[in-house]
Amino acid sequence: MERMRSLGSAHAGMMLWLWQRLTSIYMAGFVVYVIVHLSLSPVRDHAAWIAWMALGYVRLAWAVFILSILVHAWIGMRSVYFDYLPPLWLRSIVSLLTALGLLVLGLWAARILLA
Amino acid sequence: MPKKHKRPVYLNLVKIRLPVGGVLSILHRITGVILVLLLPLALYLFDRSLQDSTAFAEISSRVSSLEGRIVILIMVWVFAQHFLSGIRHLLLDIGIGDSKPIARRNAWLAFAASGAVVIFTGVCLWNA
Repeated sequence: MERMRSLGSAHAGMMLWLWQRLTSIYMAGFVVYVIVHLSLSPVRDHAAWIAWMALGYVRLAWAVFILSILVHAWIGMRSVYFDYLPPLWLRSIVSLLTALGLLVLGLWAARILLA
Repeated sequence: MPKKHKRPVYLNLVKIRLPVGGVLSILHRITGVILVLLLPLALYLFDRSLQDSTAFAEISSRVSSLEGRIVILIMVWVFAQHFLSGIRHLLLDIGIGDSKPIARRNAWLAFAASGAVVIFTGVCLWNA
């Protein structure tokens, strides 16, 4: 029971559950959109790729997609750690490294998309 | 609970026979972790491809080489497997296919569909 309590409130778990699903729905829609778009108008060279990525809504959709990946990855990796890394110290260290890694990826993605 | 067998003292992962839904579920986790580990590579390729036309051409030629196509195909399988078992998971959440026989059928369906995605992608890659 001690361990159960340290996981946080039931409400927090519910929010994680909800975010995991909201991000998955957005990502699924985005991936389907990109596949359909690239099938209809294939990107054959760098110029076409740049031109597509220069569109404001495309860039925004990519930004939301990448943010969704990071949120989804964080929640997913945390639940994996909670199940397979029982020692608190180990779970904390691995969680911290994961958070730092995802943060770096997020900043990198922001730099790419704002360029 | 019938007392035919003694409780196992340890869990032998090789001897556990998971039902198909269990295999799909653990694969969802494994593919998820693999996808997270692939994120830096994906972002690197995304970054480079946007930088200049020589980088774009280099990535294109690497992707269309034999090794590149095989790697792409493996990644497509990992993604499709995660995507499709995730869709099944979302449907289970809203009460679609949560009876045992349908859930098992959908688990097989997810495997079949990811196989189909890989075959279709392979056909596209080898005919492009």
